[in-house]
Amino acid sequence: MDMLQKASEEIHRALYMKSLRKGLSRSVNRLVPAPYRILDRWRYLLGYTEEIREAKEKVLNDIDYYIDATMKMVEETKGHAYYAKTKDEAVKLVKDLVGKDKLIVKSKSMVTEELGLREELDRDNTVFETDLGELLIQFSRDKPMHTTAPAIHITREKAIMLLKRHGVKVRDNMSTMEIVGMVRLFLREKFVKADAGISGANSIAADTGSIFLVSNEGNIRNTTSLPPIHIAITGVEKIMPTMELAFKQAVTQAAYAGLYPPTYVSVISGPSSTADIEFERVYGVHGPKEVHVILYDGGRVEALKDEVISEQLYCIRCGRCQAECPIWQLVGNTWGGRVYGGPMGMGWTAIIEGIEKASSLSHFCLLCGKCREVCPMKIDMPRIIRYLKMYYFKYVK
Amino acid sequence: MPLPMADVITMIKNNISKRGTPLPISTGEATGWAMDLDIPHGGETILYTGLLYQLTPFIESVVDRLDKLDDESLGGLLKAGKVFSGILDISRFFVKPDKDEIREQHNKIKRIALLLRKAGVEFGYLYKDEMYSGVLLYDLGLEDEFKKHAEKVFNKFRKHGVKKVITIDPHSTHVLRSVYPQYIEGFEIEVKNYLEILSERGLSPENNIEEDITIHDPCYYARYEDIIQQPRSLLENGGLHIVEAEKSGRLTHCCGGPLESLSPKIAAEIAKYRAAELSGYCDKVVVMCPICYSNLKRVARGIIELTDISSILWKIYGD
Repeated sequence: MDMLQKASEEIHRALYMKSLRKGLSRSVNRLVPAPYRILDRWRYLLGYTEEIREAKEKVLNDIDYYIDATMKMVEETKGHAYYAKTKDEAVKLVKDLVGKDKLIVKSKSMVTEELGLREELDRDNTVFETDLGELLIQFSRDKPMHTTAPAIHITREKAIMLLKRHGVKVRDNMSTMEIVGMVRLFLREKFVKADAGISGANSIAADTGSIFLVSNEGNIRNTTSLPPIHIAITGVEKIMPTMELAFKQAVTQAAYAGLYPPTYVSVISGPSSTADIEFERVYGVHGPKEVHVILYDGGRVEALKDEVISEQLYCIRCGRCQAECPIWQLVGNTWGGRVYGGPMGMGWTAIIEGIEKASSLSHFCLLCGKCREVCPMKIDMPRIIRYLKMYYFKYVK
Repeated sequence: MPLPMADVITMIKNNISKRGTPLPISTGEATGWAMDLDIPHGGETILYTGLLYQLTPFIESVVDRLDKLDDESLGGLLKAGKVFSGILDISRFFVKPDKDEIREQHNKIKRIALLLRKAGVEFGYLYKDEMYSGVLLYDLGLEDEFKKHAEKVFNKFRKHGVKKVITIDPHSTHVLRSVYPQYIEGFEIEVKNYLEILSERGLSPENNIEEDITIHDPCYYARYEDIIQQPRSLLENGGLHIVEAEKSGRLTHCCGGPLESLSPKIAAEIAKYRAAELSGYCDKVVVMCPICYSNLKRVARGIIELTDISSILWKIYGD
């Protein structure tokens, strides 16, 4: 059966999954209004979006230079920088750094989802996701249904069932607060014992090599500071020319995802160090001793050659286009691709999984244009999707 | 079991390339609305219906049939994979719509024409020479077929010396005004929508209707063609009070219509979502697009009451 029909069947199946629909509609009702309220109150964020778009244009037009500059600065701050062109290269890098039989804590990152990194590492190690939503995804062997709210489709009842099954001491009648307390207890031990922490990055600055990480749960701070080794993996499109712009990108993503101000913004420039004894600089004090930063390509640089698809690389991955999409509201990430679903998923799937795959999925789009309307980067997703639809009839079918 | 999407698309493609329209429609069914209006043949300025209003009852009857096929287990009919594959097969599940429904659509176009006339606009009509815009080919991604079709439409316009086109629905407006120029070299025909024209002309209301209504903006007027304020002014001048939905104007929410032929099920679920949302503002919902009208109608019963804007404008400015 062709990819189009296979996708159609999956989507129609999702349409009748009661728990998915219920979870989605509860979450959508909260997700959709939030950015409007935030933008109304902190109006400067609208200005940030323009600055970021401009900066991205600069970076994408000169990507080799910016990759190089970023890596140099990471090294200058005593971190280790790597460029991974393919999925296999990136996975191998991480595996070599981590070793075997280790305990690994991980914060949610869509790039690691692209790599299937948790599953890869889990073969020889024990890995725990530390973002609650992503932990639920890990336990349910599901895929994230939203970029910033991965477990958007999992109801409370199902969450309790999943946590219980994996040894978190929750009970059926527990309140959300009590559940969270138990998760804290469960993960606390992992944070302390972990051999390595793995994170993504919301942003990375070319002029300082600093990575920016946004979180509300506080899990990212633990993941990136308690274990002796911190490995950060990020797509090359997350590079911003300066620290100031990198900060703006990170908080703008949070705002458009509906959480502002974000509780924590971590800025990490290399390993922890001290020179307090006779001014001798030593590394690895309370924070990690080693920081490894992997700049991941995974089809991005190649996609820059495609005038239409490349616009998706402006995406800061707030997920607002998903929450507002009429199709996504019904079936979540069931539509859009293996990693990134909904409207943004069309462009991203073309970049990371190939244009053929994306073009088969494009036919479910209404071309209503809501995604473009609400996108902070004003990415013309309908244009990308039309292009994919046309590609399908020219080259796939 | 969902419909075989690729086959449905092929069927639509074949129909448009052989008949010029997505579904078979007779000359009378296409041009009947103009029967008693004495509209001149052709001319520099023409009213262009794009056949969308006329096709709607036909689309509805096919969607209804597709929806039922969708429910059936894959019996011999679908398994053969032949139902959708050819132009002839369309007759196997095509049921002619009710005459009253066709007439109702004709009345809508007729009212639009009379309102334009009342506003002092002189225009002709191409009658049987009027062609479908091909917008569905464009939306499905059938670029080569679309380009060919658009060229034929353009040649028809040229043959009749058309310089200005008045459109009456969002899809035809968008495709003619914003897409044709990208595909056809030398396409310099001015495209204006009737709501823009009526609003510019400042028609004075004959009747005052004090009533609450809410508006369902079509995506292509609101987000693509910037037709948001014009219908509002026209309605408000007639005394109507517009209860604005949060998702209105540029932030409007799609009715689901564009998917109705590929997945009647998804289209209906989106329509349900939208109808429920609109009902929170006002029971009376004004629509401006025949596709929105027909897709929302499938789920509207007992939730919202739909009216095409042409009917209300006629009550205000026409009678």
